[in-house]
Amino acid sequence: MKRSVLLRVNGEKHEVLIKPNRTLLEVLRDELLLTGAKEACGLGECGACTVLVDGKPVNSCITLAMEAEGKEIETIEGLSTGGKLHPLQEAFIDHHAFQCGFCTPGTIMSAKAFLKRSPEPTKEGIRDAISGNICRCTGYENAVDAILDTAMETEK
Amino acid sequence: MSNLRHIKKGPKRTDGALIVTGRANFTGDISLPEMLFGKILRSPYPHARIKEINTEKAKKLEGVKGVITGKDIGYRRFSFIDTPAFPADQTALAVDKVRFMGEGVAAVAAISEDIAATALDLIEVEYEELPPVFDPEEAMKDGAPAVHGTIEPNTTTAWEDFGVPSTKSRPYKAVNNISNRNLIEYGDIEKGFADADYLKEDRFEIPSTAHMAMEPHVAVASYQPTGKLDVWLTHMGFEHKRFWLAKLLDIPISRVRVHKTYVGGAFGGKISIFPYEFIAAYLSRLTLKPLKITLTREEVFCVCPPSRRMIVYLKTGVKKDGTITAQQVKVIDDVGAYRRSSPTALYLAHVFRNPIYNIPNLRHEGYGVYTNKLYTTAKRGHGLQQMVFAVESQLDMICDELGLDKVEMRLKNFRKKGDILPNGDKLRSYGLPECLKEAAEKIGWKEKYGKKKFRGLGIGTASMFSGAHNFPFASAAMIRLNQDGRMILYTGQTEFGNGIDTVMAQIAAEVLDCPLDYMVVNSGDSEVSPHDIGNWLSGGVFVSGEAVRRAALDLKDQMLQHAAAGLDIPFEDLAIRDGWIIPSSDESRKLSFSDISRYGIQMAGGDPLIGKGYSKCVPEVYFWKGKFNKTASLSSGKGRFTEAYGLTLAIAEVEVNPDTGEVEIVEIVLADDCGTPINVKFVEGQIMSQAVMGIGDVFYEEVRIKNGIVMNPNLLEYRVPTANDIPKITSILVDSYEPNGPFGAKEVGESPRAAAISAIANAICNAIGERIYNLPMTGDRVMEALRSKKP
Repeated sequence: MKRSVLLRVNGEKHEVLIKPNRTLLEVLRDELLLTGAKEACGLGECGACTVLVDGKPVNSCITLAMEAEGKEIETIEGLSTGGKLHPLQEAFIDHHAFQCGFCTPGTIMSAKAFLKRSPEPTKEGIRDAISGNICRCTGYENAVDAILDTAMETEK
Repeated sequence: MSNLRHIKKGPKRTDGALIVTGRANFTGDISLPEMLFGKILRSPYPHARIKEINTEKAKKLEGVKGVITGKDIGYRRFSFIDTPAFPADQTALAVDKVRFMGEGVAAVAAISEDIAATALDLIEVEYEELPPVFDPEEAMKDGAPAVHGTIEPNTTTAWEDFGVPSTKSRPYKAVNNISNRNLIEYGDIEKGFADADYLKEDRFEIPSTAHMAMEPHVAVASYQPTGKLDVWLTHMGFEHKRFWLAKLLDIPISRVRVHKTYVGGAFGGKISIFPYEFIAAYLSRLTLKPLKITLTREEVFCVCPPSRRMIVYLKTGVKKDGTITAQQVKVIDDVGAYRRSSPTALYLAHVFRNPIYNIPNLRHEGYGVYTNKLYTTAKRGHGLQQMVFAVESQLDMICDELGLDKVEMRLKNFRKKGDILPNGDKLRSYGLPECLKEAAEKIGWKEKYGKKKFRGLGIGTASMFSGAHNFPFASAAMIRLNQDGRMILYTGQTEFGNGIDTVMAQIAAEVLDCPLDYMVVNSGDSEVSPHDIGNWLSGGVFVSGEAVRRAALDLKDQMLQHAAAGLDIPFEDLAIRDGWIIPSSDESRKLSFSDISRYGIQMAGGDPLIGKGYSKCVPEVYFWKGKFNKTASLSSGKGRFTEAYGLTLAIAEVEVNPDTGEVEIVEIVLADDCGTPINVKFVEGQIMSQAVMGIGDVFYEEVRIKNGIVMNPNLLEYRVPTANDIPKITSILVDSYEPNGPFGAKEVGESPRAAAISAIANAICNAIGERIYNLPMTGDRVMEALRSKKP
């Protein structure tokens, strides 16, 4: 039995008709064609599917779409506004903080949520914040620097 | 070389904005109208005969559009490395029997993944279980269960298609489960051991580790009613894919289009062809609809090949002063159910190490052995890290026993710049000794070694080729000038995290002395790009980059010819500077690139100005219509292999907690000689990447297989390094300037991993004063070694 679910994604309302067992990731990717969040493990172990729900990072591959009803959902596609990249996106490019880029949308979303709650972070804090976002290419340090840099730039 | 504009700098990724906005199109992001979904039914047994498969119920399920078994698709065998002597041994779905748990036996096309999954449950397979064999050394004994019978070749190899003379594929009978073997000998091994003052013999064992590319394996295939196949794949070079897909569907290679995709990590694990890709193409043709197959992470762990499991028996003879006199190696490569690249791996295990130490007398024998386990393949440094782990471990033990300085002993035995290797390769550039000196200096070897209890220092070495004369043999590139003066660069290289689009733009823009954004790079599309060796022979920069450099030179020449004609100024008086064509006699008459494009169209009969360039690794090797100059032999090790070797030297410092076995890495220093780093940031990224991958290899990574079952097929049980696991890692770039490479460059994408693994492993053993012969060096293993020490 499908049911209608009202999702608010990147500030816009979407009504989708879905089976109750559909994950938020499936609905974002397959119904709304927002393919920035990726499925890499399907079990909430790697963070490639990270999106923000009411500002908090969640693994959308183990979150039911219905659970997100009525909440504010943010995905990587909503990050750049007015034709300009978000400072985190700029910093990731500047610091060569990605290689294959498959984990990057998820990592940036985790970082965004983290900087909101910790605007003056330490490197250790950043490492902790993205420790659920597995990256097999970079060795993480450039991403840590990019996030730290974003925090310092924002403070200025 | 002093006025470089883009080379040896660190420009940002030209495609970075696509990545950080989530707009880079990975294969899984592709969705086509009317697209179907495929799923594969897999064997629950490691070894069983298939007596009957009944697909009737599945076919009747609403929404199912096609069901196939090995009887449909199994007519063509394929492999990664198939040679006339070692013919292809694998089919996309099992035909008569299954040889590992998880092997595909049937596949379904349906209108949704859910329906496809339901249909799998309706397929009835009757198996007759056969006795399995899991241990490679058991499998080699008389009377062990036979994983394969006689393998009859049923297609020609790429080599034969290219015209290698008089080596027709022949049947292969796997006696005692030996899938392949090699024997490489030079010098006089017996005399070498007789000359030695000290002999050391050991056995090492290295398990499979997963590539764990973040993007799971996925394929989209769309067979057109016109007889053309379009595919989107997660891969490392399109030539192998279209070669095999064309063979499977019996269509011309040119009728297979591998589209450009972003690839979410590969590390050797996405080379050549996989069953699910064959199945997607076949089902798409069967249904005449686009079709997608996405493997789950569990499937990737259980059915996609991880790195090679190797047992290494090693005997080394040295003089009292540490000079190596002889080395005898026996490698057993537990290939699993299918051979795949084992003939290459056994060769590479030798040849990759060849540039490191001067070993005058050597015997290297290798055996690939079939077992009823998940088959294995290349992973970043294919065969290198297994051998380096064994050799560097043993050298450390020798140094300990003879009281030799580990740095000096290695420096004494390293090869030298200009050396000709036993296979004929020449070391035109060779920065390894300098790498060791700089790394030792940086970490403070002399001051620190042996000074503190439970602190240890360890050294690891590595060398790696820069492309080889393997199919597809060569790379080419084109650069097209547009009327706005900007250029489109076509290369068959594939972006999987290496930053190759940016690197190619840097090379072309350097030659044409123009801003980087004058280049638009079109990469990885088999219908648009000329042939390319791909991204798995570590020749992306050395071979394909050289092709791009020559294409830029060709275009430059054409531009200057037109400028000379248009301005009526001698060709020699013209130069390109900062994006302008400038006459030395009168700079005010300078022309823009755009002027030249318009000149070509208006004044030169519509000339489009397309520069082309090409490059072949080891040009002296060739074969064509009976003309033949011998390529490297995988079996004997003879013959030229590559033109240049990248080199890495790593030193690690660790501290071990003797109560818990816990190891903390204090620092890893990696000194890398990749010749000129085209993009310094990317080179550092490659080094960092591999150091961190090496940390996983040493401390926890292992695909654990018990009775044929993969025991840890997910990221909770298969741990990889996270952001919290990163110690201080320092990279040093030693630019040895490779004269044959573009701007002096050679490879960097594969060697640092092996060096990092051995350095960390040796540091741990140095800290605890005991040797561990297996990877990974888990806390349990460290504790066990510590306990064994006590009297």
